[in-house]
Amino acid sequence: MPRVSERVSDGDLIQLVGTGDRNAFELLYRRFSRPVLGLALRRLGDRGRAEDALQETFTSVWRSASTYRPERGPGAPWLYAVARNAIVDRGRGRAETPTEPPDDEAVEPGPPEQAEASWLAWRVHRALEELPERERTVLELAYWSGLSQSEVATFLNIPLGTVKTRTRSALARLADLLEEELQ
Amino acid sequence: VRREPPDLRDLVGDDVPAAELERLGRVHELLVRAGPPPELSTELVEPPADPGREVAVLPRRRWRTLAALAAALALAAFGAGWLAASAGDSGGNAFAIDFHVPMHGTEAAPNAVASIAVGERDESDNWPMAMTIRGLPQLPEGQHYELWLTKDGKLIESCGLFRTRGDSVVYLNAPFRLRGKGWAVTRAGGRRLLLRTVEI
Repeated sequence: MPRVSERVSDGDLIQLVGTGDRNAFELLYRRFSRPVLGLALRRLGDRGRAEDALQETFTSVWRSASTYRPERGPGAPWLYAVARNAIVDRGRGRAETPTEPPDDEAVEPGPPEQAEASWLAWRVHRALEELPERERTVLELAYWSGLSQSEVATFLNIPLGTVKTRTRSALARLADLLEEELQ
Repeated sequence: VRREPPDLRDLVGDDVPAAELERLGRVHELLVRAGPPPELSTELVEPPADPGREVAVLPRRRWRTLAALAAALALAAFGAGWLAASAGDSGGNAFAIDFHVPMHGTEAAPNAVASIAVGERDESDNWPMAMTIRGLPQLPEGQHYELWLTKDGKLIESCGLFRTRGDSVVYLNAPFRLRGKGWAVTRAGGRRLLLRTVEI
């Protein structure tokens, strides 16, 4: 079976999944599994439930991808809606209302702000999956590992200048991918 | 884990033109606000094995007996169970696989992972299953694990008891009409879930 191109759009990928294309499904999973899990963790605050929601999301995607209509919008928001439904279903079993993790700020954000934050994180995490592996690695190490740039260079066994070049390139690529959010 | 966001100039160097630095700075802010994406656990690196299989189709099947609760333990290496289940083995456990259902460990057994190969109804009207297990600790002599059918998060029917030692394949027969939506593993006599599938 021919492999699905890495360049195919999210919407085209969902349409291929709708035809029963397993390769397309795997590629879609690689693109969206971490954003879906991130969204579920924000909403459910529990790793086990979030992982269940991730699996339920992709089970639903497999079943319902044929209902996706590209003329109604791009693929990422469609998949976001599927994920949100799976997360809400998973949260219904709890006595308390699903919440975002505790916020350091004195005033808790309201639902609209939470939704906006969830959508932003979704888009950013989805865009990160588009980066070449070596660029994504330096970015994740730089922002979330606690390592300095010099330590990242040592960790990856590459020159410090290469770390900065890759970081800059990764940020520029992200800027292109997230053009809508940056306006 | 870093508490303070990194300094953008430190990240990209000092030789970036002002306009470009301003553009990168907005991306930098988005990254800081979004926070890190989560890491996938080992069992979630790959997508669901058979996302389209409908466990819900099972209730239409007919079962005549409630008898076969016994579990047989096969001490094959992890993964060999698929070969045994699909191609036949010398222990009388051979059957044709209808579909696979992946299981993952709960917080009570985070390192456990399993997969159930569910067979076609056999001549005895049983529904054979081979469960390949990794990461469940060996229990003391006389204690067993139990495989359950689940529905809406509740344990509804037992599929049998088994023991495991390291990576194992256990053979079970579903003794009831399969009216569950998923499967779960507990310690026999307990209710705490150690492994479970996603309910369909």
